[in-house]
Amino acid sequence: MSTRLARILTTIFVLAVVLLPIYWLVSTSLKSNREITQEGTLYPHVPTLDNYVRLFTEKQFGSYLTNSVVVTFFSVAIALVFGAMGAYAIARFRLPFAAERKIGLFLLTLRIIPPVVILIPVYLLMLSLGLLDSWLGLIATYTAFNVTFCVWMMESFFREIPVDLEEAAMVDGDSRFGAFRRITLPLAAPGLAATAIFAVLVTFNEFLFALALTATPRAMTMPRGTATLIGRIDTDWASMAAAGVIGALPIVFFALLVQRHLVRGLTMGAVK
Amino acid sequence: MQTGTQARKYRLQGAGLDLALPYLMLAPGLTIVLGVLVYPLWDGLRASTRAYRYGSPVSHVGFRNYVQLWSDAQFLNSLWVTVKFVALAVSVEAVLGFALALFCLHEFRGIRLLRTVLIIPMVITPVVVAILFRLIYASDAGMLTALSEAMGGGGVQILGNPLNAFIGLVVLDVWEWTPLMFLILLAGLQSLPHEPFEAARVDGAGSWRVFADLTFPMMRPVLAVAIVLRTIDAFGTFDQVFVLTRGGPGEATRLISIYGYDTAFKFQQTGYAAALFVTIGLVVLALAFSAIRLLRRIDAS
Repeated sequence: MSTRLARILTTIFVLAVVLLPIYWLVSTSLKSNREITQEGTLYPHVPTLDNYVRLFTEKQFGSYLTNSVVVTFFSVAIALVFGAMGAYAIARFRLPFAAERKIGLFLLTLRIIPPVVILIPVYLLMLSLGLLDSWLGLIATYTAFNVTFCVWMMESFFREIPVDLEEAAMVDGDSRFGAFRRITLPLAAPGLAATAIFAVLVTFNEFLFALALTATPRAMTMPRGTATLIGRIDTDWASMAAAGVIGALPIVFFALLVQRHLVRGLTMGAVK
Repeated sequence: MQTGTQARKYRLQGAGLDLALPYLMLAPGLTIVLGVLVYPLWDGLRASTRAYRYGSPVSHVGFRNYVQLWSDAQFLNSLWVTVKFVALAVSVEAVLGFALALFCLHEFRGIRLLRTVLIIPMVITPVVVAILFRLIYASDAGMLTALSEAMGGGGVQILGNPLNAFIGLVVLDVWEWTPLMFLILLAGLQSLPHEPFEAARVDGAGSWRVFADLTFPMMRPVLAVAIVLRTIDAFGTFDQVFVLTRGGPGEATRLISIYGYDTAFKFQQTGYAAALFVTIGLVVLALAFSAIRLLRRIDAS
């Protein structure tokens, strides 16, 4: 009986710790700035949606959302195709000088280095190519990061699939690439999905490169646009809270939708 | 006759293509990685040996930027703040995550809800996590102040006080990343073999003995991997600090990534900032590779 009580209390405590900050964000986003700073109410006494309306009418949140969706979609889609092919080559072929293993290790090394390390040269590169403040500059950058991740993750998924199936397809007249496309790739679909989900999360949430590479609503992504609301002298708490809700909503919804794949992807590498 | 040659030609073409296939499959991914990651990395290395001063030509200074780092009090301070932050946040996350994973190992009502809710902190955009915590800490609009006033107290100062701001940042990181620790460790616990635990139960071992003699030793590799992953990740923390405190008050929360960013984009010392980032990269790589070696030893023993 006492363990049961302890369980209930712990569960409630954990839920409260996670959900209270989120409650406060949502509650603040429904108040007016006057209510927030002068009355300090614990819940919105006069709920209003004005803050949300203002984001879209005055603060270009529509553009930020479009930019985020476009940039995330293309960089993840391209990286999945390139990454899956690269991972397959590394998982299945023996190249001279064990090159495939060296390439795999090299990509992993690139992944370990904190992205901030190459921020300046990437900025200079995009500056010289005239790709600052453009979708293309962000897509190129995110695709490159996502490729290193996709190769690393997909490689282990491909290794789990028995080679026999491909060989059988090739005996039946498929080319090697045909066997990859028609047999291996569909079998690796769950792995592909887990990889894609993880890449979408990381890309949609990325801030550092968006901060350096974009400057106007033409290319600013959600996190970048949200951050522009911050740091003025008169902090507009109400807009900031509404921006937080709008910024978090799509990705939280997405994550809860694909929960099972997500947890598998997150824990896969560590437990093996 | 004619069909025979055609078939052979076809097969030869196929064989030739198969020989080139791995290279063709690797080419597109490697091209973009070389262009957007490796070239900049090399460019950064080159820039780190130069000094760029406005109005004067670029000068080559060799390793002087690197040497200068170690007598730069602001750099040393940001390194110290980063190490403190990473050590404190990751150890709290490991302990809490492990405790929570042990707690959730036995199925009970409400556990699905708990697991679902715990996903939220780590998927929310880091910028938004920082907004969440600014709304909690703010001295005028914050949740802590509102709660304190509701209970008859005064305003609460978090972000204006160096120590409180630092602790506030650690709390943010713990809130955001304990769930990841929890999920990895829970998956680890669930993959442990059952037999030793049943044997221990038959022998009548107490739960503390089971933990100290069985669970903890068996979980050491997973725990080590989770800590290493989190440490590497925490070392590069930027977004949350940028939005929460911008490194302040003073230099209390100025992590190395923030200092590097300011050096490059605010103070325009490109060469010096490049040397700083190369140094961070090397530190993290050294950390990662020694951790991998350590893990191999744990695995072997």
